[in-house]
Parts: sequence; structure tokens; C-alpha cells
Amino acid sequence: MIIEAIDVTKVYETRGVETRALDDVSLALGKGEFTALAGPSGSGKTTLLNLLGALDTPTSGKIQLDGVELSDLSASALSALRLRKLGFVFQAYNLIPVLSARENVEFVMELQGISLKERRKRADEVLERVELGGLGDKRPLEMSGGQQQRVAVARAIASRPSIVLADEPTANLDSGTAQRLLDLMLQLNREDGVTFLFSTHDPLVMDSARRLVRLRDGKIIGDETKAPSST
Amino acid sequence: MGIETRLAWRNVWRNPRRTALSVAATVFAVFLVILTVGMASGVHEKIIEDAVRLASGHVALSGRGYRHSMTLEQFLPWDGRIEQAIENTAGVRAWAPRISSFALISIKDRSQGGMVIGVSPEQERNVTTFAEKVVTGRFLKSQANPAAHEVVLGRRLADRLGAKLGDEVLLYGVAYSLETAYALFEVVGTMALPDPRLEKNLAIVHIDAARDFYVYENRITEVAILAENADASVALLAELERALATSFAEDELELETYAQMMPELVQLILIDDAGMYITLTILVVVVGFGILNTILMAILERAHELGVVLALGLKPMALFRMIYVESMLLAGLGLVIGLSLALPLLAWLQGIEIPLTGDAAKGTTELFGMQAVMTFKLEPSNPILSTLTILFVAALAALYPAIKASRAHPVDALRSL
Repeated sequence: MIIEAIDVTKVYETRGVETRALDDVSLALGKGEFTALAGPSGSGKTTLLNLLGALDTPTSGKIQLDGVELSDLSASALSALRLRKLGFVFQAYNLIPVLSARENVEFVMELQGISLKERRKRADEVLERVELGGLGDKRPLEMSGGQQQRVAVARAIASRPSIVLADEPTANLDSGTAQRLLDLMLQLNREDGVTFLFSTHDPLVMDSARRLVRLRDGKIIGDETKAPSST
Repeated sequence: MGIETRLAWRNVWRNPRRTALSVAATVFAVFLVILTVGMASGVHEKIIEDAVRLASGHVALSGRGYRHSMTLEQFLPWDGRIEQAIENTAGVRAWAPRISSFALISIKDRSQGGMVIGVSPEQERNVTTFAEKVVTGRFLKSQANPAAHEVVLGRRLADRLGAKLGDEVLLYGVAYSLETAYALFEVVGTMALPDPRLEKNLAIVHIDAARDFYVYENRITEVAILAENADASVALLAELERALATSFAEDELELETYAQMMPELVQLILIDDAGMYITLTILVVVVGFGILNTILMAILERAHELGVVLALGLKPMALFRMIYVESMLLAGLGLVIGLSLALPLLAWLQGIEIPLTGDAAKGTTELFGMQAVMTFKLEPSNPILSTLTILFVAALAALYPAIKASRAHPVDALRSL
């Protein structure tokens, strides 16, 4: 298993009021999966994604990433772990506006200490892969939403993480752009073996996912694996 | 350039107007600090230079106790040993021997007590500005015949006595032998001195005439010595002490710096400095708050983005460094521009004396006996200390936003818009 949540509960407390965002959830993901966490707003999918992404810590239960127990790690160690093992794609693209598309793609690799030559080569390769080969020097604000999200995907995969966590990646895109982005991620999954875990309530994503985990009120209410599609 | 510095530099220019305002505040402060400190240095140096060149130089050598009693009993033996020691001491700009004592100065039915200083005109010209202060007549001739008995009077003293050029005044005093000393001296010049007290009391005669008058033979009362500058006074005193120790016992001589002879002058400068530094501290603190405000606003606006970089794996310490570098770049920009504006101006102003007028100028002259002029001096310590102070304040101001940013929780930061 790449990543595993074992009996995870997450409780938020706001002004003395407790909210149980996740309730005793267990989930394991293996290499090469293309999985979607689906459910309505407030079902706990983003919370679970944050916990699996080492961005947050559970109130109880364990998260293991490549066999490493996350709950005992410091903030700095969690940063190092995210840097080495995880790729992120956010709903609002979240590119760094003062960096060009190529620099955004290089960002994580630069933090990893990869040489300029190597990261430039890899950045150009993945930008080609997401069909943005000619836009490397553009700043995010000079690009469309779809293009920005492709750069975000390129950034997430360029550092060759164990898994890419994508939080509602198509939520801000029109259906045509969303479909093209999904096709791209499916292709990366199929051809390059990149593991994806999405949180979504977009039917397009749910249809494309090979495994669909349904959440409601902080609990997993369904976990189905579909037969591989022929495309 | 590392990613942290690159991001910091680009973030500085993200809101050009806010950056420009923050940088402008630093530029203004640096400019003001450099010029104010430069003016204080110039004015203080001028005050000291004026004072020492109308008194006993940066370092005065006299017989032990002479400064306190001002009597002829405390003398320096003038047998070549002192001259040799001074000549062999490094850091002496100029020196002049003197015989100074009191005498009654009379003409017709008018009399006035005064300080009579016997000087070696040639050497005295190098040490004091008495010769330059002559407004009527002339200063003493270098190779005067002692029998010529010439005197240069302070202008107010001459006015009180009603003495004019060519008049003879009677000097009446007590010789070293305790006998009554009197002699006629021809008034050859009058001096306008910035210190009114000095102008009312001073009479300058040739050192040989003074020696005859006071029956002082191989003695003098003091040697006025100029160092390269005021700051070198203490070091020069130590050097002279060493040089003189080979020929004299410690209790025979007394060496004093201008600061010891004129403590009120040092106090005046200290009070002036204190006022200036209080004002400059307020200014620099305001700059610190300006930087704090700019960076704090910037990180509040970019909270979401900071959450993204933390999520992507930037370590909290690296984020701290990034915010810190951004603050220091802001301060550094202000410093560079401020220094490049202020330093050439200060260098140009150096050496220019801007005369002051009005009651304040009159008061300065009356109270402190100094020329009322504004001067500037560029000392290396000025830009160095100003830079270090601004950087220190900027470093302090950057601390809070940098700590705040580095302690942000990625999930909370990502939720903020």
C-alpha cells in the first residue's frame, strides 16, 4: 500500500461546538490507482484528503504513507515527507503568481534540491506532456483556468511523487476543459503509472475513476472498483 | 539565486505602490539620518577646532598644577628636552610654546586686568588662529626684537582701554622673582575673537618679550599641541607621556586633552548628540514600523499562497527565511537609494561653511564663543552605523511577520482567501 488511513476520526472544535468531520474511517490505496472520493459538501472528503496528504493530523487513528506513521512527525518532517512523496492539485489551481509556468513546475523539484539542468529538462518534458510546451514562460495570470490547472498537474507529477492528491480539480473548469484535464490525468495514470486520488462531486470525475469511494457524514458508505475501461 | 530569495525579490515588486511607499520612507529616514549625523559631526568638529585653536590645542603640556593655579611658579624647564620629546612624537600636527600670566594693562587713566600670552609667532600661527583674527594692524612679527615690545589686543579690551594702533600700553604685573614687572608695549594690532570673554581679556606679546617681562629665563608655562584631529587627542597624550617619561618624573609635568581642559565643551556636544539621537531613534523606529506594516500586510494578503507553498513542501524555516529576506530587501533597497542620495550630497557639503544669522547665531557666539556656521563632515562611521542601525531595526521588524508566517498551519492557510 502507498497510503493508508486506519480507523481515522477527525473532530473540529469551533467555539466549544464539536464537529465530527470523519468518523472511524479506514481506507488503503495501492500503486497505480485512479481513485475518487465522492460525496456531497460536508461529507468529509477534503478532510480525508488533507489527512492523507499530511496537511493535517487525525484526532484519533493512524495515517501511514509508504509505511511511515505520520502522527509522530514534526511540522518540518511532514513538510519533508510531502516534498518527497506527494503531489498536490488544488481546486483553485494555486500556482505561485510571481513564477512562470516553467518555474512553477520546477518549484517542488527545486525544493528537493534537483539540479537546474535536470529540473529544467523534466519541467519542459511534463509541460509538453500536458500540451503546454510553448507556454513555459507565461505567468499564471496570463493563462486560462484550464491551462493553469494543467500547469498544476505538471507541477504535481514533475517531482515524481508516490501519489497525486487532487482536491476537486475540475470544480472551476467548464465541462470541455474538465474532460480534457481528466483525459490527461488518465493518460498519465495509464502510461506513466502515476497514482491519483481525487476528492470530487463532479460526475465526470466519478465516471472516469476506476475506484469510487463514497462518503457521507464522515463515514465511508461505498467503495466500488470498476472494470478497466478499454480507452 | 535560491528559490527563497527569488520569491522574496519578486514578491517585493508584487505591489509596486506599497513597496515604493515603504522604500521611500526608508530612503527619507536614511537621508535624514546621514545628513543629520553629518551635520552634527561637522558642527562638533568645528566647535572643537575653533575652541582648541583659541586655547591650548588638543593637548596641553604644563608644569604640574599650572592649570589650576595659573601662576608662574609651575613652570616647564625650557632646555631642549621637551622640544626634543615633542619632535620625536608621532601624530603631532603642530605645537607652540607659551608664557602665560596675568597683568594689569593701562593706558592713560584706564586700566584693565588681562591675560598676557607670550607666543612664538611663527609656531603660534600653526597652532592657533589668533593671527587670522587680527582686524586692525598686524600680528606679531616672527623675528621680533624682544626690545620692540609689541602687543596685539583683543578688540573689546582695546575698546575698553581706548587704545589705538601705535599707542603704548603699560603692562604691570608680578615677575617670577616676585618683583614688580612693568613695561610699555606698542599696540600693533587688535583681534576680533568669537569668544567675547577672550576678546575682553587677551593681550598677546612675543614670547621673548614675555620672558623678559616676567623674568622667566629658561622657562615656559605651557606648550599647546595640535593632534591630527580631535579624536586622536587621547592617543597623542599617551604618546607624549611615553616620550616625556624618559626625561621627566611623572609629577613634574601635566598633560591634558582639550576634553579635560574644557569639560563644558564636551558636555555641550554630548547634550547636542543626545537630542539628535533621540530624534533619529524615533525616525528609525517609524521606519521599522513601516517595514513591519508592509510585510504584515503582504503576508496577510498572501496567507493562502503561503499555505500552498507549505503544502507543497517548503519547510517552515525556509518560509521564515523567505519573509525575512523580503523584509531585508525592502530595507536594503531604501538603504541603497538613501545612501546614494545622501552620501554624494554630504560629500559635496563637506568643507562648505554655511553662515547662520539671526538671534540664534548671535546667541551661539555669545554663549559658546564659537562661529555661528553650519558645517558638514562625512565620517566613515556615519554610513556604516546608519546602515547597521537601519538593518538592525528592519531585522527586528521582520521577526514578527516571519515567525507568524512560518507558524501557519497549511490547512488553515489554504482555507483563507
